[in-house]
Amino acid sequence: MLEAVIGLEIHIEMKTKSKMFSSGPVQYGDETNTNVTVYDLGFPGVLPTVNKGAVINAIRVCHALHMEIDPVLRFDRKNYFYSDLPKGYQITQYFKPIGKNGYLTINTSSGEHKIEIERLHIEEDTAKQLHSYDCTLIDYNRCGTPLIEIVSKPQIHSSEEAMKYIDEIRSIVSFLDVSDGKMEEGSLRCDVNISVHEKGSNEFGTRVEIKNLNSIMNVEKVLDYEFERQCKCLETGEPIIQETRRFDEASKTTQPMRNKTDAVDYKYYPEANILPVKLDEAFIYEAIRTSNELASSKLKRYLESGLSEYDANILISDKDLSNYFDNIVQNGVSYKLSANWLIGDISAVLNKEDISITKFPLSPDQIAEIISLIESGKINNKQGREIFAKILENNTLSITELASEFNKGMISESDELLKIINEVLDENEQSIIDYKAGRDKALGYLMGQVMKKTGGKVNPKDTNSLLLEELKRR
Amino acid sequence: MKEVNIDVLKNVANSLMFDMSEDEYRLLEGEFHTTLKQMDLIHNIKGVEDVTPMTFPYEVTTSALREDEPSEVISSDEALKNAKDVIEKQIRIPRVLK
Amino acid sequence: MDYIHLTISELHDAYVAHKVTPLEVVKSIFEEIGDDKDNAFEYLCKQEAISKAEKLKEVQKENLFWGIPYVLKDNFSTKDIPTCASSNILEGYIPVYNATVYQKLEDSDAILIGKATLDELAMGGSGTSGHKGKTYNPYDPSHQYMIGGSSCGSANACASGLVPFAIGSDTGDSVRKPASFAGLVGFKPTWGRISRYGLFPFAPSLDHVAYFTRSVKDAASVLTLLSGHDEHDTTSSTSEVKDYVSLINGDIKGYKVAVIDEVIESMTDSDVISRFNETLKILESLGASIHHVHMDLDLLKAIYPTYNIISCAEATSNNANLDGIKFGLRENGKTYDEIVTNSRTKGFSQLIKRRFVIGGYSLLRENQEDLFIRAQKCRHLIVDKFSEILKEYDVIYLPASPSCAPKFDNASDTLSDEYLICDNYLAYANFGGFPSLTLPIGFKGNLPYGANFTSAIFAEEKVLNISLALENKLGYYNLYAKGEKK
Repeated sequence: MLEAVIGLEIHIEMKTKSKMFSSGPVQYGDETNTNVTVYDLGFPGVLPTVNKGAVINAIRVCHALHMEIDPVLRFDRKNYFYSDLPKGYQITQYFKPIGKNGYLTINTSSGEHKIEIERLHIEEDTAKQLHSYDCTLIDYNRCGTPLIEIVSKPQIHSSEEAMKYIDEIRSIVSFLDVSDGKMEEGSLRCDVNISVHEKGSNEFGTRVEIKNLNSIMNVEKVLDYEFERQCKCLETGEPIIQETRRFDEASKTTQPMRNKTDAVDYKYYPEANILPVKLDEAFIYEAIRTSNELASSKLKRYLESGLSEYDANILISDKDLSNYFDNIVQNGVSYKLSANWLIGDISAVLNKEDISITKFPLSPDQIAEIISLIESGKINNKQGREIFAKILENNTLSITELASEFNKGMISESDELLKIINEVLDENEQSIIDYKAGRDKALGYLMGQVMKKTGGKVNPKDTNSLLLEELKRR
Repeated sequence: MKEVNIDVLKNVANSLMFDMSEDEYRLLEGEFHTTLKQMDLIHNIKGVEDVTPMTFPYEVTTSALREDEPSEVISSDEALKNAKDVIEKQIRIPRVLK
Repeated sequence: MDYIHLTISELHDAYVAHKVTPLEVVKSIFEEIGDDKDNAFEYLCKQEAISKAEKLKEVQKENLFWGIPYVLKDNFSTKDIPTCASSNILEGYIPVYNATVYQKLEDSDAILIGKATLDELAMGGSGTSGHKGKTYNPYDPSHQYMIGGSSCGSANACASGLVPFAIGSDTGDSVRKPASFAGLVGFKPTWGRISRYGLFPFAPSLDHVAYFTRSVKDAASVLTLLSGHDEHDTTSSTSEVKDYVSLINGDIKGYKVAVIDEVIESMTDSDVISRFNETLKILESLGASIHHVHMDLDLLKAIYPTYNIISCAEATSNNANLDGIKFGLRENGKTYDEIVTNSRTKGFSQLIKRRFVIGGYSLLRENQEDLFIRAQKCRHLIVDKFSEILKEYDVIYLPASPSCAPKFDNASDTLSDEYLICDNYLAYANFGGFPSLTLPIGFKGNLPYGANFTSAIFAEEKVLNISLALENKLGYYNLYAKGEKK
């Protein structure tokens, strides 16, 4: 049986405040060529300075991918001429990447797979080019944005595994706040290489590379298409050429790229303008200790706290949603109720307004306050929803005051409540007998009678416990 | 080592994005023989295989990294004032085929 | 009284004594420069210098550099002042930021007179390859003898007495060799001692900011001003900046001086050798001990090819930003590749192209191990060997050039021992980042020549102190060419 052998190279744009080797701001969507320093344009005499934040990010991702972290950072030059590369070389880590020998576990329909990761290195992004029909315009704002490149071993065997792998990487960089990790916006970019061979064989087929895939759907389409194509080649005896192909979105096929006579020689050599940077143990430890919780760890915590797998997975599918959730439960309220609110009422509002959780006007503390009132029985669910709706309309209202509105006229004096309970018990002797005989329904009936007598103006929780006590005495 | 002939030298020059006249290449080819003889002098040094390649003049490391704060931004006017073809605050070049 | 041929400290004293003002000095300098017939300048900052000098009214006694005129080699970035590194590829380039060295001098109220010529992009040693042609040696009004390079314009401006100090750069010997031919103190401190931010790179692992003065004490003063860590250059050292002037007094009793016999043996000029030997006697008479040490001839001969390979290889990458797109010369073309190729073909001289081809060839995948990496290993061996010597001895002392300045049409045998060793050995101090100073020790006819002291890294005061001792004894203080009035 033929099997695909796939390796992935993923480039991730970091969302640091400044660039990898210059203090130019990292900011998207600004006016062209306004977020640049002399370094970013490659003026003669400029020198690189290594961004601490980017290094911390790289350490965190290395840790999440179970990699060995090199305690000495070194950089190299990759030399080539291209219009988006103002210095004529890119600073990268060719000889000594910051991370090596890691792995990632993915869950697919065929079970759990461990994908080994060869290396993770830090480098700088190129300028952005705007192509129009007769010219190309260069904007250096993106030039120098910190990147990490994660290179998997060729241990992926299907488009499903590839998609899961990418999604897992996306989740990690997103939860660690390293990157937006959005393929569609270019903050996560993917190159794939694929060959086919007889499953179990030690011999590998000829590798074909497809660069710059811009959506996870395209990764699937490309890999499926290439697998089929290469299988067909093997069947018909047509040779598979080692080449770089590109994905043609219109025809959903891959096409060979213009063949260059010989492969580019990047003439890598060590960067002499950056001294080796010693990362001491305490620095690495601190970077890891202060890093955000990963989705996998949150999932475990959610399940242990009683959330259903379904709810927990919804929460961890979105870093911001899970952060909002964590900020609610931080107030000591129940995981279950919080999840219900977030996935239910709040998500309904988000959908209706078509906004993300980060734009939701109510704070997690406000939601926690409502939930806590419900938990303590001071209000019921229905009343909670009414308060929610009211403060959504007018966020200056006080939740406590709204709740006490509901409580107005409530029978809060236990003496009075006790009197009513005893009246109900006197009137329903048969129910007492039934209760003592273990018929739980009787209790519900008695509660109902109390509610009826008070017009519902009592706290059900308090009433329930008083009723139980009185029953014991009879 | 790659043999030196005019084609090799031309390829090296072209990979560095410049060209020379045929005469210049011939002159360079002639000179290269001397250069290669000089380069030969580094091949028979005792102990050369026992040391590591040196990038920095002396052994030194740093632990200082730049704080992640933006600064020293230049204006787009400054950034582009030395470029010969600028339009809409961007540098213009002939259309680059993707 | 002639105020423009003074040293830094003499001119400072004259300012303090109100004998002369910066404006008077600056005006007479531009008068003397005239039409720059020695081709020392790429750009004269006449307006800027005069308007700055006009503002300098109250002399600052504590600030030695107040109102002191100087020049910068035209490979330092100077905001709003054209900078082309004597290359057509940088035609019309006006930097938008300041090199740290320039900024420090500006902050000290020193006055920039002009940007000095160099061998194109600092890649050369003859002072002949700048886009405007040869730069001349002021000691030779007939214009037959070179001044050396690549810091030829800086050397000329200082040696002709126009300015008391001139900033250059030194990747192989680009300050220390012309210093020998121009009768100057030429000093290259430890790699990392002075920030390289804003210095156009040739080969960063070998590049140093270096400078010319006409006295050793001035060299010490300039070092104190320019040294120190710079956040823009993370390779710049954080080690303490000393008050070097106060650390030197010329007392060298007990100094152990190493002389490498194989370097002397490679020389053919017996006048220079015997003069050098006389200076050894002088050093001994001052209480230093002279030690003749030996070095593997093959290793010494490997210095030049090692330098050639590493510097040319690094240069290909460091000049890859010169593509005509963001700044400098832009030629027409139908594609990006055509524009870049046409611009670089037109912008670089033949000599530069040849060096790039050597560098590119050394870095090719199939050659890298045999050439570039082998050269880096050779560099390691060479540095280890010299470091060993410098561990045992305070300084290495040797002639700075085989003789005085050669004629422009001099064709040396580039495979001879003299060429490979004495003419090119100074690069060892770039390999190891050692502080290294050339000072004048004699004349052949009208032409001066020098010798060189080099010490272990960050031992600048030793080099300066022994140089001061020799300067005092030889009396070669404040030498400048008293040629015909220009």
